[in-house]
Amino acid sequence: MNDPRITSYALGELEGPDREAFKRELAASDDLQKHLNETINLTKALGALPMPNEQLENRSALLEQCAKNQSRRRKTNILRLAVPISLAAAASLVVVALLNQAGTPAPAILAVSAPAEKSADEIVRSAPQNISLTQQEVKQPAADTRSAVVMEKAKIAKARQMGAARGAAARAATDFDGYIHYGSPIVAGSDVVVADSILTRSGEWNTEGYNAIRENAFLDVKQNPLSTFSIDVDTASYANVRRFLRNGTLPPAGAIRTEELLNYFPYNDPAPKDAAPFSVNLEVATAPWDAERLLVRIGLKGKEIPASERAPANLVFLVDVSGSMNEPNKLPLLKRSLRGLVENLSDRDRVAIVVYAGSSGLVLPPTPGTRKQDILAALDNLQSGGGTYGSAGIKLAYETARENFLKEGSNRVILCTDGDFNVGVTSQSELQKLIERERASGVFLSVLGFGTGNVKDSTMELLADKGNGNYAYIDTPNEGRKVLVEQMGGTLFTIAKDVKIQVEFNPAQVAAYRLIGYENRLLAKEDFNDDTKDAGEIGAGHTVSALYEIIPAGKKIPGALSVDPLKYQTPAPVVSGVPVSGDLLTVKLRFKQPDGDKSQLLEVALATPESIPFFDQASSDFRFAAAVAAFGMKLRASPDAGNITWDDMLRIARQSLGDDPGSYRAEFLTLIEAAKSLALEPKTDDDKSPTQP
Amino acid sequence: MMSPEEIIAHAFDRFERPLISYAKEITGDLEAARDAVQETFLRLSRQDILRLEPRLTPWLFFVCRNCALDHVRKVGRFAEDSAENERASDDPSPDASVMADEDSVRLRELVSRLPQQQRELIKLKFESGLSYKEMAEVLKTSVSTVGVQLHGALQTLRQHWNRPTHITS
Repeated sequence: MNDPRITSYALGELEGPDREAFKRELAASDDLQKHLNETINLTKALGALPMPNEQLENRSALLEQCAKNQSRRRKTNILRLAVPISLAAAASLVVVALLNQAGTPAPAILAVSAPAEKSADEIVRSAPQNISLTQQEVKQPAADTRSAVVMEKAKIAKARQMGAARGAAARAATDFDGYIHYGSPIVAGSDVVVADSILTRSGEWNTEGYNAIRENAFLDVKQNPLSTFSIDVDTASYANVRRFLRNGTLPPAGAIRTEELLNYFPYNDPAPKDAAPFSVNLEVATAPWDAERLLVRIGLKGKEIPASERAPANLVFLVDVSGSMNEPNKLPLLKRSLRGLVENLSDRDRVAIVVYAGSSGLVLPPTPGTRKQDILAALDNLQSGGGTYGSAGIKLAYETARENFLKEGSNRVILCTDGDFNVGVTSQSELQKLIERERASGVFLSVLGFGTGNVKDSTMELLADKGNGNYAYIDTPNEGRKVLVEQMGGTLFTIAKDVKIQVEFNPAQVAAYRLIGYENRLLAKEDFNDDTKDAGEIGAGHTVSALYEIIPAGKKIPGALSVDPLKYQTPAPVVSGVPVSGDLLTVKLRFKQPDGDKSQLLEVALATPESIPFFDQASSDFRFAAAVAAFGMKLRASPDAGNITWDDMLRIARQSLGDDPGSYRAEFLTLIEAAKSLALEPKTDDDKSPTQP
Repeated sequence: MMSPEEIIAHAFDRFERPLISYAKEITGDLEAARDAVQETFLRLSRQDILRLEPRLTPWLFFVCRNCALDHVRKVGRFAEDSAENERASDDPSPDASVMADEDSVRLRELVSRLPQQQRELIKLKFESGLSYKEMAEVLKTSVSTVGVQLHGALQTLRQHWNRPTHITS
């Protein structure tokens, strides 16, 4: 049978009407079916052939050279484009010189920092400081890149002989020593700066990807009475921070998302009483780091849905089984975590498993929860191997989910990977578009990250965000149980989607405010009422916390904020007789039902208490959340952390443990201890002996 | 989203081994294959990465193929003996347990008997996961030619594979 369509079909290359026509022929011919089955078996065998495990000998030198070439290439372009505006360049040179003296790292590390989408000439406008580097750079003769690599090769061979075992361990320990993202003056001007390269001081590359985060600053209520953001129930940052600390390294600033630290912990907010999907709880007290300031906690608590009442789930696990997953903290941990989930499935749930690696395929067709043994057996049979790239993996997963779509249930693809989400769609933007398209069809995406060293943190968060899902990072069996068993409702069952929060501050009571965390989740004030704007989801039983730090009216706003009074604006006239509102603020929430398109509005006002409670009088949830926020700020070396010490945090957290189901809060104490000892250790650049976890 | 350096590093992680394996299919020599892959990434680093990114995969394999063919042209030796080479030099990787060893050795041998272009297609598809369209770009041919050739390759393999009798060389 010489029909190339057989192979095309087996490889998922046949699409549209051709595919339908072929399916009809297939149904009519036993012969064709037999031929197809044989072909499919063969493609599986071919896909499972082990790939020779050959690598280059001079990998890090080559990557370093590539990075140099790339930045030289861009700088040359900038110089070419910059000539006509040399006057402007001369002016900015002075600025750069000052900045460099002010203690920014050596110029070699100052790679061009600009949002990746910008073209070269935009970079000139947005980052004039690069021109000075360019000029220094151009004076040096361009070395022959090839010979530089060859020289490096010799050096590396020598180093290898000296200490063969150093490799992986040393690399893990030296990750992230030389960060320049956060707080560096050259990045001022844009809200979120894409970290241009993760090149450490020692010149080693790490392929973990983090976007730099610029903390929210204090905003003057008169200029910005509204603060708008999307909720976020992700928790991955906490597990990731824990991994760094346990390995004896302080996490890079970009990996610390304070809202994810806050939302890692369960809080005791009361469940909603009425039909609303969640309750809104507000509390105010003085800030632990500055008694002159206030802290407001907004706590949302999603409705709990008992397992017997919750809608059935149609889950498709999309599992990365490429060779890199063959490590104890990856595939075996994944299997163990998913086993816990499967044991809690109800009879009405369905589970399918799609794998991707050298080839992709459906290893478990949709199977009802009554056949747990079959599902567990399929899980046990998962093995890593083959290439790192599977075609059509994610498409197949979505297709499987759609074919078994439960109208009244939760439909979700759960991507489990160590960061190589090369799921068959080549470019990132294409992948994002696919996920957004599928979201519209009602299939959501959750992402579970495993392993270390290659975690594309920012991308995974983004994908889950685009897919109306959550992103969790699983580094231990306990974490797997927390995400997939204890919080299964929240992880898998959305009770409200596109949840946005807008807080209106009363200028009569508040001079300035600062939202702690949620930097990646800020929305424009217009987005709040715009139902086409995507926002975060809240799952059954989830708690979401947000903290605002407030400078009360009449108190001085820190100097950097002062703006001259506007010349042409007339301040609102004070109408005598109308009493000034005693409210501190009003919280407005917009959300949609999981299958709805139109948002609903909730509004809760917080009156200014007659006397503001002292921090120590606040609820234990409030105090614990404040300790976590302080921990995040301190780890990021944020100036807003004030003079709070690690010991203060320990004390606050220890006194606010509460019942602590699951002992998560107790574990947090050990992280503060770890951060404290690492932060106090003098850091040296050259001494990088691998630290044992 | 990703910076050019991140894209390069990511591409390197993902394609280093498949590219070496692919280049070795052409050169028949591991060192020459490594050189070709190194040259490929150096060339990549001089490109406008962000513009290249949507078709990065075919670009890498196309350039790597040319580098490997350059080597073959210079040395004047074609990889006729790649099957022997491969079996001799391939370390038994931990992944090998995925398939019974005998089966995998036999299948490998069957593949090594295919014509050069078909062998390349098998590598591109099953080791690197390229789509028909991407393979067509790499080999500068049409999608339908890729379809016909790959089907031809699988057809040949299938006939021997599903017949458990041993074929003698």
